[in-house]
Amino acid sequence: MLKIENLHVSVDGKEILKGLTLDVGAGEVHAIMGPNGSGKSTLAYALAGRPGYEITAGKVTFGERDLMSLAPEERAREGVFLGFQYPVEIPGVNNVYLLKAALNAARKHRGLPEVDAFEFLGLVREKMKVMHMDEAFLSRGVNEGFSGGEKKRNEVLQMLMLEPRLAILDETDSGLDIDALKVVANGVNTLRSPERSVVLVTHYQRLLDYIVPDYVHVLVRGRIARSGDKSLALELDRRGYDWISEEAA
Amino acid sequence: MAAPSPLATRIVEEHAAASDSLPAGVVSRERRRSAIDTLAVQGLPTSRDENWKYANLRPLDKVRFAPLAADASANADALSPVTLADLPPRIEGYARYTFVDGVFFPALSAPAERTGISVVSLRSDPERAKRTPPAYALREQSPSKDARFALLNEAFATDGASIRVAAGTDCPTCIELVFVANRDSQTAASYPRVELHVEAGATLGLIERHLSVGSDANFVNTAVSVDIARGASVNHYRVQQSGARAIWFDTLSAVLAQDATYRLHGVSLGGLSARSTINVQLAGERADAGIYVVSLGDRQQVQDAFVLVDHVAPRARSEQIFRGISAGRARVTFNGMVVVRKGAQGTDSQQSLRGLLAGPDAEIDVRPQLEIYTDDVRCSHGATAGKLDDNMLFYLLSRGLDPETAQRLLKWAFLEDVVAKIEVPELRRQIEHSLAGQLKDAAALKELL
Repeated sequence: MLKIENLHVSVDGKEILKGLTLDVGAGEVHAIMGPNGSGKSTLAYALAGRPGYEITAGKVTFGERDLMSLAPEERAREGVFLGFQYPVEIPGVNNVYLLKAALNAARKHRGLPEVDAFEFLGLVREKMKVMHMDEAFLSRGVNEGFSGGEKKRNEVLQMLMLEPRLAILDETDSGLDIDALKVVANGVNTLRSPERSVVLVTHYQRLLDYIVPDYVHVLVRGRIARSGDKSLALELDRRGYDWISEEAA
Repeated sequence: MAAPSPLATRIVEEHAAASDSLPAGVVSRERRRSAIDTLAVQGLPTSRDENWKYANLRPLDKVRFAPLAADASANADALSPVTLADLPPRIEGYARYTFVDGVFFPALSAPAERTGISVVSLRSDPERAKRTPPAYALREQSPSKDARFALLNEAFATDGASIRVAAGTDCPTCIELVFVANRDSQTAASYPRVELHVEAGATLGLIERHLSVGSDANFVNTAVSVDIARGASVNHYRVQQSGARAIWFDTLSAVLAQDATYRLHGVSLGGLSARSTINVQLAGERADAGIYVVSLGDRQQVQDAFVLVDHVAPRARSEQIFRGISAGRARVTFNGMVVVRKGAQGTDSQQSLRGLLAGPDAEIDVRPQLEIYTDDVRCSHGATAGKLDDNMLFYLLSRGLDPETAQRLLKWAFLEDVVAKIEVPELRRQIEHSLAGQLKDAAALKELL
């Protein structure tokens, strides 16, 4: 599904990712963990195509396509979804409008007609129920005045609407209380299927109690320093990151 | 004293030639004389005047200042090619009064009799010369040097609307004035004129539109005076959609008495060169003024606005919100000045002025200015001019929206703060369509409307 080979990424001329290699198979959930500044968010942004994240070497294949040759909107339409660590507030742009425009952009890409208005509303309502969200929020501006938890729920709602083949969730757990964490995790779990892959970027093991990963990778100074299964996350929770950093050095 | 400028000389000459045909019932001969005398000495503003440096004044060299001769415009019904189909759809509940080149045009109007509301054509109201002169003539340092275009209107006006709202009258959905400019700027000037008096405790909703039918290269010089008495409340919507080559000048002066409320919503889209000079005086305690302006410029357009909010009385409140988008080689400016006079303690004044650059050759200037002569005030202002927010843009792209749609959407959202204040749903819809059309995105944005 996603094949990252020797990826080097620089931001403002400073190299952040220094030869990252990662294989994410269809249906798999991979957790990317690591200390602050190790390059986790850079990986997420680079995969989504954020301007300013310069690929200086390496290759990323998504399905059959060279992901890095695609514009951000093309990546989205191909089925890559980035859940933002800090979702952007866009006052004046309606939530429901954005959901519809995003869904239709993906449908058009697949040669499907625009979604029927009635069908669309039914779909939104169903997904909002999963995310424990109030309908009133549909008519509000995108993330406008939302609490941290509401913003994260909104990210997952968008993901559920778009049904991406690859979801990259950048610290979707940060700033959530335990109830909100369960709702968000449940949202992600409903999306899990043999065709869909998830990359969870997280600082804490807590999220992984609710979204159980197939693989856990530890990112240190722009490279994957260690990979394992869920037990690695538990070990990190107990021992912290220092021992891996020292090993990597 | 310096000799009059060539422009001032020409104004005086054109006035002398037209003088006999200018109706004395609209503005008395004495007042016309005094206006022209002042203009002869002061001339019109130039780009060297502090508050005029962003305006495009050059086209004035080529316009004719005199309006159509009185007899010609009296026969305007028969001559004018303007038809009902040229006018925007009416808005339910609003009685319409249409003026072509500044002259009332009954055939294009749909008046209504309403208790407490009097709307008359200045020309048909010979008694009016005896009544209170308009607000800009009442100002302390009368006339303000920035009101010279109002003097030009006073010198040449051929007609206008006189609106009186009797004390206690409640008419929130009330009057629509449509000013159509029809002649070419080299044939005849158009002088729309409004004198509005709202008596104590009354409520009024007023829509004022400016558009071009026939020539799109008119010279229009509007003067509006607004007097709002104690406890009265006015919602005033102004929509400027003149033709693509029109030269459009405008002076609005409002005076608010104690506990009066004024909401001025300005939408400026049209014209090659447009300039609004707005002066709102908070003359009574606890008066409350809100000024909400949207300006869009594209191609070679100049959209210039100068707003002076003058806090004279204590404990008054004012708010200015401006959103402007400049594309092409356009220049869009908003100069918002707040003066808090000695004795205006407890003043609360806010300004939020934002400009958006939508092209490498476009220009935006937003300038908040404060002059405070008293201690106990609360004044806040924010001004920004820049491009679309990269974070917002990337967020929308990451959801699959193409860059053109994402940019349109963000421009739209940028205007929302002002557009959302329009409380007349049908007018708001019309304005949103015009904005979408001007942003060249009518089709793409239709879902939003």
